[in-house]
Amino acid sequence: MRQPDQHMNPRTRRALEFVLDNLVWFMLVFVLVVFSIAIPNYFQLGIFANIIEASSVLGVMSIGLALVIITGHMDLSVESVAALSAMAVGILFCSAGIGLGVQLHPEWLMVPVSLLIALAVGGIIGAINGYLVVKVKMSAFIITLASYIWVRGLVLVISGGRSAQDLAPAIRWFGIQRLLGLPLTAWIAIACFVVFSLIMAKTPFGRHLIMIGGNETATFRAGIRVNRNLVIAFVLAGAIAGLAGWLLAIRTSGATANLGVGLLFNAFAAVVIGGVSLKGGVGTLPGVYAGVLLLSAINTAINLMGLPANFTQVIHGLLVLAAVLLDAFKQTIRQRLA
Amino acid sequence: MSEPLLVLDNVTKNYGAIEALKGISFSIGKGEVVALLGDNGAGKSTLVKIIAGGLEPTSGRMLFEGKEFLAKSPAEAKAAGIETVYQDLSLCTNVDVVANFFMGREITRKFLGVPVLDEPAMEQVVEKALASAGTRIPSLRTNVEHLSGGQRQAIELNRFVHFGGKLVLLDEPFAALGVEQTRRGLDMIRQVARQGIGVVIITHIMQQAFQVADRIVVIRQGVVAGDVARNKTSPDAVIDMITGETLAGAGPAG
Repeated sequence: MRQPDQHMNPRTRRALEFVLDNLVWFMLVFVLVVFSIAIPNYFQLGIFANIIEASSVLGVMSIGLALVIITGHMDLSVESVAALSAMAVGILFCSAGIGLGVQLHPEWLMVPVSLLIALAVGGIIGAINGYLVVKVKMSAFIITLASYIWVRGLVLVISGGRSAQDLAPAIRWFGIQRLLGLPLTAWIAIACFVVFSLIMAKTPFGRHLIMIGGNETATFRAGIRVNRNLVIAFVLAGAIAGLAGWLLAIRTSGATANLGVGLLFNAFAAVVIGGVSLKGGVGTLPGVYAGVLLLSAINTAINLMGLPANFTQVIHGLLVLAAVLLDAFKQTIRQRLA
Repeated sequence: MSEPLLVLDNVTKNYGAIEALKGISFSIGKGEVVALLGDNGAGKSTLVKIIAGGLEPTSGRMLFEGKEFLAKSPAEAKAAGIETVYQDLSLCTNVDVVANFFMGREITRKFLGVPVLDEPAMEQVVEKALASAGTRIPSLRTNVEHLSGGQRQAIELNRFVHFGGKLVLLDEPFAALGVEQTRRGLDMIRQVARQGIGVVIITHIMQQAFQVADRIVVIRQGVVAGDVARNKTSPDAVIDMITGETLAGAGPAG
């Protein structure tokens, strides 16, 4: 059999590896170009801003999910955790519906307090997940599936199935105030991606998470405190989901019992499309962000074309399928390169 | 024998009703190379894991540098100065050579109070370490999954040579190496021992044991079946000890 790869010079190989590593970004650019040409009115700054804006909640949630998947585990509870955090913020700081309308003086104090509550709610559930995975040594898939169900149940219980409306204006300010054409909530998502990308790429903690995902036994033998790192990853995933919930509450100016239903699968799609391997150890957060933007770009296109929104789900499903196939394909190419 | 570095005193390990180790006692001196021999399932790997902190013994005690010693985790053993190279390689193939070399003890510098990986510094160290050992790896930034078995094992061997410590445990370290690389590996072991580091090497290959070891310890069915100086025994006598034909070759312990 002919093996063309053996004759490949180092430069072509490096170029090819670069393309493989950043494939999702090329896909994003490709999709944006195609839509801009094919769909009237797509090529506008406002549309692009909208793509970024619409992806902030999903983006933040995907960060936490990606962290845990990169360590070789799973967190299915992020969607319900976000809903619970949003409900907690909604009940405390909304003035209509089941909202208690808690007022703090000065008003801006409600921002850090509501944010801390959202993060704490998420962090606690993340800690429970992490503890069960590490200490009881149960499969993260099962444990977080259970959390996915009982946390959503808790949302229903505390809300009685009703909703909270009219979030305090001081908190909503984040969803209204714009900076360079983007609302502050979108900037929060972008900042999260930057911070966590740096943590994963540049700090020993991030390096350890990636290595744990690659070979947990080896990291344990090398003296890395695997359990501690895993619990931290789960707590982070929970707290980040809490932040996503806080953003969600701001965006909808309140919380309903079924808030955020379906987000988990979109987050999942974004993470897989972004190049994170479900086997663990492979993937970067910038890639995940590109995955999130890709989904959002496609949603926007569907809206603009006036297709029924139901099509989005079909397309997302196909995209996930394509991403998994692509992942397998990339691995084959990489093996050829090696 | 030189000053004892590690003394094992009647160490046992049970898995339920199964006695993997029935009471192991021997010692390793500073700068001494001990070859641990025994048939499959004799308990060699279990013993190594107990010393390295991967397993806890059921009973018995260990003295490390004269002090009571029991590592509850590999991290503790490592902190005490015990390095281990396992038979199934302990590398993360999804990261590059440098990351593997420094696994768990990365060089960092502070940036705004946050520890940040110092990649250039680490790369330099790895480059030097591999060059001095004569190991050639095309790029230190390639992921280990792209490297051959021999190159992978070389990373592990160079890792323990570099970080040294006080005692090195090698569980079948040459399984994937070629002839020349094995010779170099054996040289490395002698070189490490000359620095006063104790070495325990598990091997199946009699020739390697006789090439490198000062003392040969044979484990059979969870007990020490022989503990002899290399120059006072022969491969045939050792094989007899391994298979249980005779215990006559067993000299005085230590």
